[in-house]
Amino acid sequence: MGGAWRRHLPAIVSAALAVVVLALPLAVSDRYLLKVFMFVGLNVITVAGLAVLFGLAGQVSLGHAAFVGIGAYACGFLTARAGWPWPAAVVAAVAIAAAGGLALALPTLRLRGHYLGMATLGFSMILGIAFVEAKAITGGNDGLSGIPLPAFGALDLDPATASYLLVWGTAVLVLLLASGIVRGRPGRAMTALHGSEMGAQACGIDPIRVKVTAFTLSAALAGLSGALYALTVGFVSPTSFALETSIILLAMVVLGGTRSLAGPVLAAVLLTLLTYVDAILPGLSKEAVAFLQDWKGDIYGVVIVAVMLFAPAGIAGVARTVRTRLGGSS
Amino acid sequence: MSVLAIRQVTRTFGGLTALDGVSFDVHEGEIFSVIGPNGAGKSTLFNIVSGFDRPTGGSVAYQGRDITGVRPHALVRAGIARTFQNTQLFEELTVLDNVLVGMFPVTRAGMVSAALRLPHALREQRLATEEAQRLLRMVGLEEFASTPAADLPHGLRRLLEIARALATRPRVMLLDEPAAGLDSAETRELASLLYRVRDSGATIVVVEHDMGLVMEVSDSIVVLDRGRKIAEGPPMLIQKDPAVIEAYLGEEASDDD
Amino acid sequence: MGVPELLQFVVSGLKNGAIYALIALGFSLVYSATGVINFAQGEFYMLGGMVAVWAMRSLGLPLLAAVPAAVVVTVAVGALVERLALRPRRFEPPLVLIIITIGVSMVLQSLARHLFGPDELALPAFTPGPSVVVLGAAIERQTLWVWGLTAVALIVLWLIYTRTKLGLAMRATAVSHDASRLVGVDTARVVMVVFALAAALGALAGVAVAPLTQTAYDVGARIGLKGFAAAILGGLGGPVAAVVGGLVLGLVESLSVAFISSTYKDAIALVLLLAVLFLKPSGLFGRSSREKV
Repeated sequence: MGGAWRRHLPAIVSAALAVVVLALPLAVSDRYLLKVFMFVGLNVITVAGLAVLFGLAGQVSLGHAAFVGIGAYACGFLTARAGWPWPAAVVAAVAIAAAGGLALALPTLRLRGHYLGMATLGFSMILGIAFVEAKAITGGNDGLSGIPLPAFGALDLDPATASYLLVWGTAVLVLLLASGIVRGRPGRAMTALHGSEMGAQACGIDPIRVKVTAFTLSAALAGLSGALYALTVGFVSPTSFALETSIILLAMVVLGGTRSLAGPVLAAVLLTLLTYVDAILPGLSKEAVAFLQDWKGDIYGVVIVAVMLFAPAGIAGVARTVRTRLGGSS
Repeated sequence: MSVLAIRQVTRTFGGLTALDGVSFDVHEGEIFSVIGPNGAGKSTLFNIVSGFDRPTGGSVAYQGRDITGVRPHALVRAGIARTFQNTQLFEELTVLDNVLVGMFPVTRAGMVSAALRLPHALREQRLATEEAQRLLRMVGLEEFASTPAADLPHGLRRLLEIARALATRPRVMLLDEPAAGLDSAETRELASLLYRVRDSGATIVVVEHDMGLVMEVSDSIVVLDRGRKIAEGPPMLIQKDPAVIEAYLGEEASDDD
Repeated sequence: MGVPELLQFVVSGLKNGAIYALIALGFSLVYSATGVINFAQGEFYMLGGMVAVWAMRSLGLPLLAAVPAAVVVTVAVGALVERLALRPRRFEPPLVLIIITIGVSMVLQSLARHLFGPDELALPAFTPGPSVVVLGAAIERQTLWVWGLTAVALIVLWLIYTRTKLGLAMRATAVSHDASRLVGVDTARVVMVVFALAAALGALAGVAVAPLTQTAYDVGARIGLKGFAAAILGGLGGPVAAVVGGLVLGLVESLSVAFISSTYKDAIALVLLLAVLFLKPSGLFGRSSREKV
């Protein structure tokens, strides 16, 4: 009786959280706040993919902002310039980002060592140039504007609520699917690989294949996040996908911890809200907000170093330790 | 029938020759031991047969098919499983999950079916768990199923690796020093486990230092010394072989220095 | 295109190549001692230039004092980074250490922006004066400084490597940490010295080039990537390979600007990097990928 309750507790909590998140627009009347929560959702989608890549497969990427950018520009161009319906544009954007991830991962991951990090860094720099130079598609430094807000047929929602629901509906779905992967056979293969590459090989697991799959999946999710960004913000410019964004995303997964989805998701929420601290703490003085904005880079850098030094398994690791200690008595 | 055919296998590391033209056959259903003093090339040989290393010369055939240079995971899928001298467990995973990872080659659920939690993926997961529990009972680790591998008592870690290797449903098991660190009671348990594994249909190849165990369980033995094969045959003959005795005496003499 | 124009591109390529070589050396040194790709390597370059400019402007130091001061400060930063952020976790897998260097580079970059401001800054030329003309190609005096300093750095490094006990310990540590400890090498100290040397090389590159191209708080990542590409070209192996890798990369970049286009100049390094990784992972000069015994 109690055992069954315990076993289903995580599922019940997750479902309750999903309901609360999706019902939030009913309770929040402040449009800016709703928009901030929407940005949280966009980061959650990207971080879910990075959590699989880093936390399970043990690979680090410094270029995920570039995949977000690919998704954003592809979706923006297809809807605003080519006149595609938005769902088709989203699918295409995800496919393009995934193809980019595959093309980058295949040559780099065949090798031992940690060349992937550098390759992703270079990749994001090249795309940074391309986003500015390929003016016919991206609009260069002026950005790509005029992206129509998605229409939901008969549903008559105000734009902020519609955007919020689109992003968080997708995020909830992504998390549901990702948790299936994490707990299932593919997730176990990744965790095994992270634990001992030789041991994993001795279990018939092809390390290259698993890493390439994880990287492609994470690129696809970053592309999805970018596509939704383009649709909901309506405007895409190159500055949004700089190296700093990639490092912020990395900080989220590092803080969130390995072998977990909940940890990185929580970290994504916390660190995104840190950027928009003025929205959640309206009482905060202008100086304090400006200070936080100014020192953002240091804060993210220090978070990365501090977590690695003092709690390398992140929030998820700390939670596991606490649970083991408490679990001993139950 | 010869299940493994090692032919003129040579492996050099820079100027060092670890294996020098070694050839022998392992036959279906036998327990086969590779012995020799330290530095004889036993581990190198194992790494080559299991695909973790490539020979500089020579070839390895499995069931008549050339497998030289085939990557480890593909060999596991073909039926060659192994354990390691330095155990390669997934320390953060539970004992049961370690064996479940071993079921990887014999299960099918991919990204999509796992993400969507399709019924066949869930059923497969349930069956795999039952099979993993059966294997844990076989090696005597059932009570540790939910213990993290990192917390497993030292002497039992090798048993977990054997269970994990068995989970891949191997036709050939390569065991690298399975008795290292075991006391005499545990070693007897191990011997009986080896017989059970063999009786379940797998061929076993062992690298081992415990001569008592080797002489008891082996059907045939090959002896390596400084990269060369110096003797081959059943335990009775190996024990009396002058070249073998000399090789081991030489080792003891140098140990005394 | 005439000979003078072509030669001009070669000069420019060898100038950038020398800088890449110094950065690549830093990567190789740290990688061979620790197995870690130091993502903060480019920040050492940034610090060298920025500290020198700051020392002149804010402290009023003459150039002659500001340049060595910048190198010394950067070396101290390099040693501190190793001691405080990396050593406590040195027995962890390289991934952990790599992530730490990523965090450190973010912190250094951000701190530099606060200390030195967000603007592009330039250092005066070490020896002002007209360019030297060779076969119709103009060579700026500062370029001669870049080459001279690179040469001196190489010779000093070579002397340390081959003639000192420290160099022997460094080579031993590169071969095997455990074995080195067994024979009494203080590997922790060696790794710290290696970081300090890598920082010195980065800072030297940064100050040498600051009069030619302006520097700013955010130049580290880009130059780091170039240096890494050069190191990979050289196979992340010995010092000579790193230097040749740097020069080759500089020349290829410069000539591709001459013959193709300047828009994607920065992309050349990555394309080359990926090509090498794909086709010849041991680098241009590697015999075969290093064996795992």
